[in-house]
Amino acid sequence: MSHDRAVAVDPAQHRGKAFGRLTGVGGALAVAGVGASVALAGGTPQFYFSWLVAYLFFLSIALGGLFFVLVLAVSRAGWGVSLRRVVENVMATLPVFAVLFVPIWLGRHELYAWARPEEVAKSALLRGKAPFLNEDFWFVRAILYFVAWSALATFFSTQSQKQDETGDERISARMRGIAPVGIILFALSTTFCSIDWMMSLEPEWYSTMYGVYFFSGAVIAIFSFVILLVQFAYTQGALRGVVTTEHLHDVGKLLFGFTIFWAYIAFSQYFLIWYGNIPEETVYYMKRQVGSWQSVGMLLAYGHFLLPFFFLMPRAAKRSSALLVIAAVWQLFMHFLDLHWAIMPVLHPESARPGFVDLAAFSAVGGVFLAAIGWVSSRRALVPLGDPRLPEALSFENV
Amino acid sequence: MTNVIDNVSHEPVAGRAPLILGAPDFHAITEAVAQPAERATPLAWWLFFLPSLGMLGILGLAVAWLVWEGIGIWGLNQPVGWAFDITNFVFWIGIGHAGTLISAVLFLFRQKWRTSINRAAEAMTIFAVMCALLFPGIHIGRPWVAYWMAPLPNQMGTWPGFRSPLLWDFFAVSTYGTVSALFWYVGLIPDLATLRDRATTRMRRYTYGLFALGWRGSARNWQHYETAYLILAGLATPLVLSVHSIVSMDFAVAQLPGWHTTIFPPYFVAGAIYSGFAMVVTLMVITRKALGLEHILTRFHFDRMARIMLVTGSIVGYAYAMEFFIAWFSQNPYEQFTFVNRAFGPYWWAYWTMITCNVLSPQVFWCKRARTSLAIHFVVSIFVNIGMWFERFVIIVTSLHRDFLPSSWGMFYPTTWDILLLIGSFGLFFTMFCLFVRFLPVVAAAEVKSVLPAADPHHATGQRATPAMAGRLAPEGAH
Repeated sequence: MSHDRAVAVDPAQHRGKAFGRLTGVGGALAVAGVGASVALAGGTPQFYFSWLVAYLFFLSIALGGLFFVLVLAVSRAGWGVSLRRVVENVMATLPVFAVLFVPIWLGRHELYAWARPEEVAKSALLRGKAPFLNEDFWFVRAILYFVAWSALATFFSTQSQKQDETGDERISARMRGIAPVGIILFALSTTFCSIDWMMSLEPEWYSTMYGVYFFSGAVIAIFSFVILLVQFAYTQGALRGVVTTEHLHDVGKLLFGFTIFWAYIAFSQYFLIWYGNIPEETVYYMKRQVGSWQSVGMLLAYGHFLLPFFFLMPRAAKRSSALLVIAAVWQLFMHFLDLHWAIMPVLHPESARPGFVDLAAFSAVGGVFLAAIGWVSSRRALVPLGDPRLPEALSFENV
Repeated sequence: MTNVIDNVSHEPVAGRAPLILGAPDFHAITEAVAQPAERATPLAWWLFFLPSLGMLGILGLAVAWLVWEGIGIWGLNQPVGWAFDITNFVFWIGIGHAGTLISAVLFLFRQKWRTSINRAAEAMTIFAVMCALLFPGIHIGRPWVAYWMAPLPNQMGTWPGFRSPLLWDFFAVSTYGTVSALFWYVGLIPDLATLRDRATTRMRRYTYGLFALGWRGSARNWQHYETAYLILAGLATPLVLSVHSIVSMDFAVAQLPGWHTTIFPPYFVAGAIYSGFAMVVTLMVITRKALGLEHILTRFHFDRMARIMLVTGSIVGYAYAMEFFIAWFSQNPYEQFTFVNRAFGPYWWAYWTMITCNVLSPQVFWCKRARTSLAIHFVVSIFVNIGMWFERFVIIVTSLHRDFLPSSWGMFYPTTWDILLLIGSFGLFFTMFCLFVRFLPVVAAAEVKSVLPAADPHHATGQRATPAMAGRLAPEGAH
């Protein structure tokens, strides 16, 4: 409902400084994480695989943020304006992922069979795929993704910030104009980065659904993460009265909806491969039915879908901060597990082997990610103060 | 009706453009919606209805001859044992999806512009499902035992193949048809009551009254109505995804290159919504003009539909590209051959018709002038209708006609009966739609009233919200 009831937002109350603490905490976690993972496993395949899982986990949150910002812009959404800055700050970390990519580049021979000349020599399939799966092109593609993501993230972030001061309506129009192009770039880059960095770990295997699968996880991740960031802002005394139960209710609905979407995509992919029963496809799931990987897969089916589905269904769950936080933490954990399950069987085909290196890599990448969010946030307001639709967002109610 | 304000040339950034033009009051909406169903049958209606009825006659003839003679009258052969029949089925099921998306998904997303088109789109859904259901019924060779497709108890000694996607189709489509009909009917009740109350003849009052189920428009009525509507929207939303996903599995569970690919479910769903919107646009460009609803179904609404077509058309384009890329990437010679054959084999013209109509033609909608031009809408929507029919034809026939063994390759050529049956299904569809336009309110009047400025309790001038209207304030987003 868009009654433009005047609701005053006191800028002093919603300064990004509230997030400043994240810089310190994140920095410490990063240093500890990098130190621990290098000390524990530096240069080993375990190090690179753990890094890759952690990297894709946080990257997917940031990419989800980019998607959320693009959709809010293109759909002229009113309700989401008051929490958009928080999402923008997550999106704005995307350039940092170019730096965090360095270990993956260093470990490409350990990670990817197609990057090992002796494996390529053995396999006619890999030789056939070499025009796409070769180190140079793979690297060029990565550069293209980072350019696209950084350009989009910087554009939307700076434009939005500029509007804080000017309140210029044309900025909203400009963002809406660029967003459709951004969505196309997002769709292509997200798809191909998931093919390049995850699917090609098992270079013989292929699925046309893979990009959509990665996307569905990324969207769950951002909605969960936004819930947590808003709660964190509350503890710092910010965003109260601006991002309200109404907005969180909507984010909860989106989390609920995309939880179903993830299940739909995951099930469709599994089901079609199971039913078709063609060995060159089933190999992917066969590998994930060995040892404890089987249990991890079952845990995903129940934990990433069934449990949160029933948990988030009641209206009350989506309007309670505490319950939403539980759902968000749980879904982020499940999303991490989903990526772990997609990647790690390549390194540990016999059984799941979670360990301290995973934790260290998580802390390293996550620390940098949090520090970047803290740094970006602390330089501006936590609410898009100049957005002409802010009054609409502030008076928004789920009836 | 006068277009006093134009709601497309300037869209405010803060606030929202008016959805209904000319600032009508509640009564004016009632008049505009109810009159077409109350006035004497105009000549123009017959000009649409009689040709449609003629085409329906063709359907009767084609089905009768099919039952008498058998499916040998079609162009089916080895290796193409499935062609127009299943193409038409998938095409029509797809058409229906726009109605469900508009009525259920856009409802959950609080897209108020849906109120002007949801009624007609839902009606279209039901008619499209009717057309679709025809084809599985007649393509089985012995239509008099079509009920064997249902999972009947097995006292007949038959037991349905639960592992067959054709059986899942039966569940999926019949559920879809049922929920769509319920949703449409529940939404109709308040408007049927309006027609009942305005009736000038006993016959009309009785007939509309019968289906209005004793609706009185009390606050209690509205409260129950809102709850029912929201629950049905919630139930219909997964159906938007599930029905065409199951239809896609008719193909995707097979091991045939070109059919077996994991992206099929969401790709088919996007294609279905896309084709459905094209059909809504085709129908509504004519209907709004014929019934004088230009101020209710404005160019703003078409602008929004164009955007959805651009999005879904792009998703379909993404899927085409992804299939091609992965076919190459797989390095599986059969996969690669199928896709090269699609684009450059004997059916190249069908493939490029599909690409031109589905991927290229909607690109004009990047331009705002195209999104708000009804002429361009009409042309593009016809293109998309054609393209989406060809998409199914391409998937089905090109994958079958050259399979693993070159010695078994063949070509499919439709016979006259194939074509007559396709034309006839359009006859059924248009006949039903003409009847709908003639006898029922084409716009959900009660819902449109809820998006008028006067429905806002903070609205300053004049008209006070009635209890009924107070009920109507809640819906968008109540869940």
